[in-house]
Amino acid sequence: MNKDDLFREMKKAIVDGDGPAAGRLAGEAVRSGLDLLEVIDKGYVPGIHEVGELWEKGDYFLPELISSAEAMKSAMAVIEPELERARLHARTGGKVVIGTVEGDIHDIGKNLVAAMLQAGGFEVFDLGADVKLERFIEKAESVGADFICLSALLTTTMINQKRFVALLKEKNLRDRFKVLVGGAPASHRWAEEVGADGYAENAVAAVKLAKRLSPGRS
Amino acid sequence: MNKMSLLDLAKGRTVLLDGALGTELMARGLPLGACPESWNADRPEAVREVHRDYFAAGSDAVSTNSFGGSRIKLAGHGLAARTAELNVAAARLAREVAPADRYVAGSIGPTGKFLKPQGEFTEDEFESVFAEQSAALAEGGVDVLIVETQYDLHEALCALRGARRAGSLPVFVTMTFNAVPRGYFTLMGDTVTRCVSELEKAGAAAVGANCTLNSQQMVDLVASIRRETVLPVIVQANAGKPVLGADGRVAYSQTLEDYVRFVPDLVRGGANFVGGCCGTNPAFIKAMAASIARRTS
Repeated sequence: MNKDDLFREMKKAIVDGDGPAAGRLAGEAVRSGLDLLEVIDKGYVPGIHEVGELWEKGDYFLPELISSAEAMKSAMAVIEPELERARLHARTGGKVVIGTVEGDIHDIGKNLVAAMLQAGGFEVFDLGADVKLERFIEKAESVGADFICLSALLTTTMINQKRFVALLKEKNLRDRFKVLVGGAPASHRWAEEVGADGYAENAVAAVKLAKRLSPGRS
Repeated sequence: MNKMSLLDLAKGRTVLLDGALGTELMARGLPLGACPESWNADRPEAVREVHRDYFAAGSDAVSTNSFGGSRIKLAGHGLAARTAELNVAAARLAREVAPADRYVAGSIGPTGKFLKPQGEFTEDEFESVFAEQSAALAEGGVDVLIVETQYDLHEALCALRGARRAGSLPVFVTMTFNAVPRGYFTLMGDTVTRCVSELEKAGAAAVGANCTLNSQQMVDLVASIRRETVLPVIVQANAGKPVLGADGRVAYSQTLEDYVRFVPDLVRGGANFVGGCCGTNPAFIKAMAASIARRTS
């Protein structure tokens, strides 16, 4: 298979959410000695972009997003060890610490955002659900995060997104991290009110937002 | 004397359900992150009080404090072993304060987990969990079961089958739809048509929508549900989106007046059961009762 055909197949594997195919094609790329960074950028990432477009049009829903993110993981599981061997790193959009705020055990949306950010080239540290606000800061400081993403499903716990921004200010760390908020009750207006750097309505929008605010950009 | 069934009542007039429950319990001191169902055992009087307020506001039926009462959901709070106890108690508390001519609906919410392949659970596992919860609610004396806020048709069908396996109570099912560019879909991508027809086929006694959409958006949605079924239709809208109030507390974007303004349209559009969801309270239900009464008088 020539390179263009291979890239086309890779994109298709992601769009179809076909993990086995995505992994097999990654293996082919490794065996053929292709530039693996180019493989990620021109083979797989366009697939994730198309998945995002299909979601925004209302053609794709949560099951398709999960399958595509899983397919991306299958490909990266083959590619990453090879990159490490060559002492190369996949281009990253930045480091993200993500979790559902304390008092809230809902994690469906947060998991999806984490999966899509990872598929979109971010290094993601997922702290899970019901995460103490201090814990977000500890983790973000220890890994040198660029973003802290806070999820909340309940109107009673979303207030913790506001408390978190206040806590960062109190610790004089507000400028160190970009704070993004999400969850069913959140909104652009909410993000402004609580002093966050941004809000995304869904996982696809979250990737776009993080890319726009990414420190590596420009 | 035999009381008319809730379904028969709905044949004659619009039936009023209740509004949000969790936020009412929070207002009475339920701590952030605590399991609301635990109050069925620990603070029964607070739960009774909320039900009483809704009956006083005009609800024909209230939903029990058991939305998160499935074994899977309770396990998140370390309360799985108390599943039967907390659901029986939920039903009894509502029953105890229900006037003789009013009704109690046993609330069943989603597990918060996914079926395979997105998650780890099988349909059989979900069905058993819902059957267990349904049996406990029936034992506590509910008149109907209401499977609510379902974002996955497959899970809703598991709940419906589990509830029907557990006994002979009528089972109502409300799905949660999002507005996307091509229309209304569940999170998992189920269409209104597919949800309604599959639920009807599986034996739902009434179908409808709750949560996420505000009362104006529900007017649009109820018409498309009505077109798909002859079953009674249920609508429980959110009061818009949460916003930060001037006092630093969370408030909702749709005011009581704006919310209730659309109730006549919901009824005209084919809703037989109306009630509230997130952001509503007994004051909303009282205003809805007045709106419905005006329409029928």
